[in-house]
Amino acid sequence: MAVMLPADCARRLVSELQGALDVCAERQRQLEQSLRVSRRLLQAWEPAGTTAVEPPPGSETKKEDPSPACTSNPQDLKEMELLTQALEKAIRVRKGISKSGERGRTPSLKSGSIAISSGTTASALPQSSSRAAHYSSRTRPMKGIHQTTVPTKGHAEHRLPLVRNRSHVGLGAQATRLELNHGKKMTLSPAHHTAETFTLKEKGTLLKLPLAFRKAASRNSCLWTQLNSTQTNDSTDATSAAKTQFLQKMQISSSTSSSKFSAVEIEMETQRLQKACALLRRRMQEELSAAPVDWMQEYQCLLILEGLQTMAQQYLHKVQELCTALTEQLPGSNLMGRPLQASLPSGGHVCTSWGPQLLLYSSTQQLKTLGTLRLRVAMLEQQIHLEKVLMAELLPIVSTQEPQGQPWLALCRAAHSLLCEGGERFLTVLREDPAD
Amino acid sequence: MGRRRRQVREEASAWAAAGTRTLPDAIAALSRSLPAGPSPEIFRRAKFDRPEAAPELWRLLFRVLSPLLADRAAASPGLGAQACWVKAVLCYHGYPRSALAQLPEDGSQGSRELLLALSWLLARGPLLEWLLAQTCVQLGDQVPTFEYEVLAIPRLAAPQMDAEGPVDIRHLQWLMGKLHFRWQNLISIQQEQCALLSKGSAVLSRGCFFLPAAIGDRSVPSRACHFADGMEGPAALCHTPQIHTYTFGCHSDQNLGHLSVTETETLRDPEGSQQLLQVLEQENARLEAALEWRRYELVFWQWMDTVLGACPPEDPSVPSFQPRIPEHGRGKLELVARELQALKEELQVLQKLLHEEVLSRRQAWETRVGALGHGPEWSTSRQDLQQAVEQELLALQQSWKQDRYPSLPRRRHRLVKIEAGAAGAQGLPVAEVIRGLKSQEASLEVVLCQLQGQCRQELARLVGTMPGLIWILPPGR
Repeated sequence: MAVMLPADCARRLVSELQGALDVCAERQRQLEQSLRVSRRLLQAWEPAGTTAVEPPPGSETKKEDPSPACTSNPQDLKEMELLTQALEKAIRVRKGISKSGERGRTPSLKSGSIAISSGTTASALPQSSSRAAHYSSRTRPMKGIHQTTVPTKGHAEHRLPLVRNRSHVGLGAQATRLELNHGKKMTLSPAHHTAETFTLKEKGTLLKLPLAFRKAASRNSCLWTQLNSTQTNDSTDATSAAKTQFLQKMQISSSTSSSKFSAVEIEMETQRLQKACALLRRRMQEELSAAPVDWMQEYQCLLILEGLQTMAQQYLHKVQELCTALTEQLPGSNLMGRPLQASLPSGGHVCTSWGPQLLLYSSTQQLKTLGTLRLRVAMLEQQIHLEKVLMAELLPIVSTQEPQGQPWLALCRAAHSLLCEGGERFLTVLREDPAD
Repeated sequence: MGRRRRQVREEASAWAAAGTRTLPDAIAALSRSLPAGPSPEIFRRAKFDRPEAAPELWRLLFRVLSPLLADRAAASPGLGAQACWVKAVLCYHGYPRSALAQLPEDGSQGSRELLLALSWLLARGPLLEWLLAQTCVQLGDQVPTFEYEVLAIPRLAAPQMDAEGPVDIRHLQWLMGKLHFRWQNLISIQQEQCALLSKGSAVLSRGCFFLPAAIGDRSVPSRACHFADGMEGPAALCHTPQIHTYTFGCHSDQNLGHLSVTETETLRDPEGSQQLLQVLEQENARLEAALEWRRYELVFWQWMDTVLGACPPEDPSVPSFQPRIPEHGRGKLELVARELQALKEELQVLQKLLHEEVLSRRQAWETRVGALGHGPEWSTSRQDLQQAVEQELLALQQSWKQDRYPSLPRRRHRLVKIEAGAAGAQGLPVAEVIRGLKSQEASLEVVLCQLQGQCRQELARLVGTMPGLIWILPPGR
């Protein structure tokens, strides 16, 4: 039974739900993105720094760079191995030639390797060889330090980023090993390839951030600290006085009466009152269910209940105030769904600190719990928001429609499912036959 | 020509009138600390309400009011949409001048009003600090948070209308089901991933193991391949500790100890590192400018006084008309009105209940105490009790004003691994955040249940008017 919702109501609800779905999708995208990064870090590092573009084997980044997937099946791997051997031989031959040559041979060697590659089946190119060609052209402008100790032979050219890397990474032992590799590893087979990589687990503690980066980062944290430190100069008072005066003048010059609450304030106050009310209710229930064992406790209980009564009165008063302010607001400021949270800094807002706060954890389990809870809370917040929107849209429709006939029943059933069961379950409606 | 010269002279005298040579400095500092801040010249022209300064100021305000949107949205909305948005947001935040709302929405006019609006934002809170914090470079590892703002922009630019005309309610149910599925998926992936972590580390220890690329081939469903190599799945948080452990002692900052994922990544990818360094240096420049602004700010406010003085006062007889609001005719405030109504009813019920309880208990108590008589120690302990209760109630009243537990900081944070039981580390223990989140979870669950309960009552009331029907609730709750 089709139950059609009026266009404007439908548009609002669909857009809300679509928005919620988008948030989820965005969330998943973010998670996947950061996972890709971590995952790549935990895998073998290409010492040449080539992994920047080369996706790690088996990762999702394949989608973005389909070329390595060409070498995926066993047949291709076999071909690759053969081709590698052929290339090795070619390099040996070239090495022989270059021995007699001058140092400036390198570019021609490199282009030679490209020539070989392109001469053979392009799809079956060994990864490292294609990468060599790729990188030597790509990273040339960036090479900072030329490693003179390494003889310029064969594919030494494509190792240059590594030299740069060494200066960044600052691994003493690593660099030595890699230099050795330069001398020996001229082959391009995947097997050798793996021998040159290292993992974060093995060498992670030897890593060091580049000096320029360290400097900028420490300057950054220093600046944040300064920004956080309360202003101590003499002009502070004068400045805040000037600001206050400016705001007052502005209010005076404006035609609108200085309404007590802005829309955002009403919203925030309402939220706070809801929280307060929930706390009050919980405390009251605790007190009512407690069984005092002596007169002291009994008296205390009474005092607390009396206090709660006063509080309820105060809150009620505040609610009235907000209701009044809201009626003044309503005609104009029907603003937006979620965008722009009430996060802009406002008057009276005392922020303690702007810099990064350290969150200390000691176990993976803690992070797991944290991640799961964060998801759960975000989900509940979204559900509550949707519930409110659905209530505002659907309940009036149910109540204004003529309560009879199949469509109305279907509407009630659907509304019940959406509003009371989170869309997960349905109620059953039985019609009693009047004849019975 | 003459007019222009006069204008320049005027400007020069206006700047000089501000007292010192530091006004240009102050404005320059402000400009540099704002995201994509306009040249100081724009501010100068805005004082004279020059139309050519308007577009840039609209754009600036748009950025200032939604820094995350402006940064991440691929396609920034047109000037008209930006202007519309700026008006709505300022109105929502209680911006007092109605002249702003009356500006044309093509963004071609009103530079002085816009300068006033920007100053209003600057005057009422630490705007620059907030902006910097919103868009700061994140070097550390964060607990992922949801940023609703990020997604609002495409709909701002062109309200997405999947549905024109009436829509079958089943479409909503379908969307709801889809949403439910997405959430379940996110949660279960995270959990499964964490469960796989121990297996995954076996693979990791042989990290250089060369997996055939076929495993990651597109033709294989991605979930299957995630688990094939035992370490995929979108729960990067679970990998973070490993990276933290492996890089322990690498950070030059003693407080941090280890590298973050981002920092480690810069070592792996030097090109990316250059970019990050650049962004970091830009942020440093903005921070420096913000600090400089604090020194010169006073001059700016003196100057703004003259800008405000140059404005004709608004005529209160002109009815202020409100900005046209993009999207959502039935806005947030209508929801707020409903919430207030519900709150009012709830409080009335609570108050009635409390009133009755207090009345009967007070009576019972008086009779009992009357029968017992009072000693001198009674009055002291009574006073103590009263004081204790007062304290407790005060604490209760305070507690809703601030979060009971520190919930996950909205602002920038950085995850730092410490040895279990290590003392003296500076920062917020995650255990506390977890406690906070748990209590938040519990109270949100209560709220959701309450809302659903309200709906149940309301629907029961509505269908109750219809005889001859039996409603059988679904099992499971």
